[in-house]
Amino acid sequence: MADVTPRPPAPTGGQASSTLGRSMSVKGELTAKEDLVIEGQFEGTIDVAEHTVTVGAQGQVKSEIRARQVVVHGSVNGKISAREKIDIRRTGNVTGDLQAAGVAIEDGAYFKGSIEILREGQARAEAAPARPVVSQRAV
Amino acid sequence: MLARPGRSEASTDPRSAPPPSFGLRWLWQYLQDSPRPYILDCGPIRSATLRILLGRSGRLYSGDLISSHKRPELWDRTRKTPVFRTELLLAGLPPVPAASLSVVFCWHLLDLLPREALPDVLLHIHKLMESGGVLFCLLREPRLEKGADSAWELDGLTGLARAHDGVAAFPYPALSNREIDRLLPTGSVKTFLTRSGWREVLVLK
Repeated sequence: MADVTPRPPAPTGGQASSTLGRSMSVKGELTAKEDLVIEGQFEGTIDVAEHTVTVGAQGQVKSEIRARQVVVHGSVNGKISAREKIDIRRTGNVTGDLQAAGVAIEDGAYFKGSIEILREGQARAEAAPARPVVSQRAV
Repeated sequence: MLARPGRSEASTDPRSAPPPSFGLRWLWQYLQDSPRPYILDCGPIRSATLRILLGRSGRLYSGDLISSHKRPELWDRTRKTPVFRTELLLAGLPPVPAASLSVVFCWHLLDLLPREALPDVLLHIHKLMESGGVLFCLLREPRLEKGADSAWELDGLTGLARAHDGVAAFPYPALSNREIDRLLPTGSVKTFLTRSGWREVLVLK
């Protein structure tokens, strides 16, 4: 019989990724330049601004997450900011504020908090560091 | 298949367009000058509703009081007469700044709570609403005896559908508009009748 246990999706196409395993419990500040899969427990801050964070079904995160995309199958308590999309799946349990260009929550998921959709300009501003404004005059 | 509250019982053709909800139509027309209102959804997450409200709101708050209203710990049974712990129910809402909400969707929550909880629940929601804000409720007609476990969702901005047709009996007698009116510190009540046995009740602050 085929194994139909829901699993977190593989991180995006062929890129390097790191996994925090089920038996691991980590506190601190996590930054990475690759996709991240969390199956264990994490407490602190996660900053992978250009990559995807996936919280697996067993994953428990008490943290602020900043990423390009966030997919939640497990539990997250904290603010999530994503430049592109936050995806809370059916088994997901999220308490906190979400900020992203797109948010999807499957029926059956638990969510308590607020959602703010970043419109076109806002999403770009969130992603890019602040630059000095140069005024231009028409010649 | 989704059940449309306004659809006649004889009509079972799933292709027929759902009749619009007059309450929702009124609501969005009322908010036409408010491009990005702050909205609170007190029901369980429905992906269809979320998609629609996110497209319309500046900020969407979500805290499911409907699924949590049956939690046994909401009743203090240490006393002779069990007491409903309204503050524990309201802890299911996310932090929302006072007087910030333009719309609150509480669906059929008020039909599920004991009478003694209603003043505090309505007062709490009322405080979160801005002046001119609207509370959107569905209240059953007294003739409707079952449907406490119904699940509602938006089908477009002005379409209202039952994602799940409830069969559970309602735990308390039906609420009248006059009762709602009496429980509110200020405001007025607007009612739209449907053929399904549910009233769409909009409370304006």
